[in-house]
Amino acid sequence: MQLHFTKDVLPDSVSADFQNLNKLNEQQFLRLIEILFQFLLEPKETERFMQQLGEFAGEHGMSAGPLRNVMKSVLLMPQGALKKNLTVEQIKEDLLTLGLNEDKATHFSQQWGEHYAVLSRLAVGQTLMVNQLVDMEWKFGVTVGTSEVQKVGNIFLQLKLVVRKGNSTENVYMELTLPQFYNFLHEMERAKASMECFS
Amino acid sequence: MAAAVSSEHFSNLQLLLKAPSKDAVRDVCVQSHRGTSHRLAESTATTFSISTGQAAQLVHSLHVLSHHVLFYNLSSPDQILALFPESFHSSLKNLITKILLENSPTWRTEALSNQISLPQLKELDWRVDMVTGSDSVSRMSVPTCLVQLKMEDPSAGGESVSAVTVELSRESLDTILDGLGRIRDQLSVVAGK
Repeated sequence: MQLHFTKDVLPDSVSADFQNLNKLNEQQFLRLIEILFQFLLEPKETERFMQQLGEFAGEHGMSAGPLRNVMKSVLLMPQGALKKNLTVEQIKEDLLTLGLNEDKATHFSQQWGEHYAVLSRLAVGQTLMVNQLVDMEWKFGVTVGTSEVQKVGNIFLQLKLVVRKGNSTENVYMELTLPQFYNFLHEMERAKASMECFS
Repeated sequence: MAAAVSSEHFSNLQLLLKAPSKDAVRDVCVQSHRGTSHRLAESTATTFSISTGQAAQLVHSLHVLSHHVLFYNLSSPDQILALFPESFHSSLKNLITKILLENSPTWRTEALSNQISLPQLKELDWRVDMVTGSDSVSRMSVPTCLVQLKMEDPSAGGESVSAVTVELSRESLDTILDGLGRIRDQLSVVAGK
């Protein structure tokens, strides 16, 4: 079987699961696909997804277990499709290859087309970031005096950077003089200009 | 009104009259400002032909005087001359005052750069990359920025340099620039006052 979304050899059960979907009538299929895309758009809501599948199964006289297995197979496709930036036509072709009937394949791929922009932005957002800067806090003030010099009037700026390191965050504290601050600002503006060249 | 330096210190300072030259006076003033050490007392004793004990007291008194001038930011000759007792040797008084005034700006800058502080930003480097693929999306084209901040912790002594590299998305960089812009605006308000 030649598929766009994966080069792997899929177990026969996957094809069988897609074909099972043909048994659903139009209303049922539409609703099931709606549940699927809701989950794809909010991938953290696994409990809600499972609950909705359970309710769907109950309403339509199916057992929840087999339904969940079918959905597991169905979910293989969106992941591969996003990774390979597949077009709507390619998705439809794969669905037909897997044995889904024409109407259902069309509907599924159309839904995919509608949600593609949001889904790909989500995938990009999951891209690895090293030491990601999560937050920046700052304060500035005037040094009024020190143990060595009674009266001073220097402006200082203190920054706290919160950096994600693995699963936890690390705080980095630093102090800048005024000239250093202006240099920092200048360099960040240059970095931004550089980034904008590429968009 | 600046507090007074005790007369005991000034009587120690009279030992400077035994200096072989004006440069010797200048040398001991500058070195004692940094700190009093046994080595300094010994070399001063040798140069001035006085006992080590006397040299140690001289160095200590000079240290107290120069730090007093620094602390109260005494910047005019009159302010410094006013510290000396009436009976103090006149030319020596003028010489010491001149030396203290000459060195004050350097000492003030040094004191302020050595003051306690959070790690100070020493160097900033950045680079912009174009991410062209990842495990979740094989083909993409997303710019990202890496910034390396090198910091030095003055209170930790020695060479305590640490570096942090952070990655910023475009949105984060925009947010940072927003924040920095607000700081700049607030700074100009403060500076304008």
